Amino acid sequence: MGNVTALLVMVHGSPKESANNDMFEVVELVRQRRVFPIVKVGFMECNQPTIPEAIAECVSDGASKIVAVPYFLHVGTHVADDLPTLLEEARLIYPAVEFALGRYIGESAIVSDILAARITNSGQP
Amino acid sequence: MKAVILFSHGSTLCGAGTALGNHAERLRSQFPLVEVGYMNYSTPTFEESVDKTTAAGATEIIVVPFFLAPGYFVTKSLPDRVSANRRRYPEVHFLIVPPLGADPLLADAVIDSALNPLRDDQWREGLNTAARLCRFSAECPVFGTHDCEPTFSGVETVLNG
Repeated sequence: MGNVTALLVMVHGSPKESANNDMFEVVELVRQRRVFPIVKVGFMECNQPTIPEAIAECVSDGASKIVAVPYFLHVGTHVADDLPTLLEEARLIYPAVEFALGRYIGESAIVSDILAARITNSGQP
Repeated sequence: MKAVILFSHGSTLCGAGTALGNHAERLRSQFPLVEVGYMNYSTPTFEESVDKTTAAGATEIIVVPFFLAPGYFVTKSLPDRVSANRRRYPEVHFLIVPPLGADPLLADAVIDSALNPLRDDQWREGLNTAARLCRFSAECPVFGTHDCEPTFSGVETVLNG
């Protein structure tokens, strides 16, 4: 098995499935950038696949490493505790696979740029 | 003068506003008057930030929802709060801009996060932040847990404001 890194986007999930549409659009852009050969979405609640299911898909697609990114704007117990726990459990199930955790996207300075653009463009029709 | 209020849900978790505070701080280098205003749990409230920015001379307030999706809070709660504040300040122009939605830069944020992962000992740093910024609030989900044992200094902080 070569070095194949999968990106797992960890999402909260919503009882209203259409609430995920924007996120899927963003994930499609991530896929198109071709930085990661495998890009999967896993949900914490409400929607499928669950995070453990999405991890299983990454492994069966040949991932030797999985980098998980919390698609959350805020730190709460999911980001601070529940998501790390899910990855620790996955490490026990797949000892040959390397797991890494990224910062939740709400912390990213790139989000400041999005907010700045929203403000700058607010005067336009 | 134009002011900006970053509108956010608020959290019972101590220290949860750190990231949003950093966004506000970065925006202050580009815009003269930037505040955060919370809907619930956290302070300052949206109303407090409206008071503060108008007192500082704002004639226009751009309200930026710090939300990913245009759900109930963005499409209903926020417009209701803004309407109530328009009645308080009829001379001030309020403008609500769209939430983050499917902004293509979010793809960059995801990739950037994946390319710069945390060290293992940073995985639960949110819990450490909560303990460090303890407001001595029993509502906080980690209050009194192993990660956040309220200390006498925490009590003093609360008592001394």
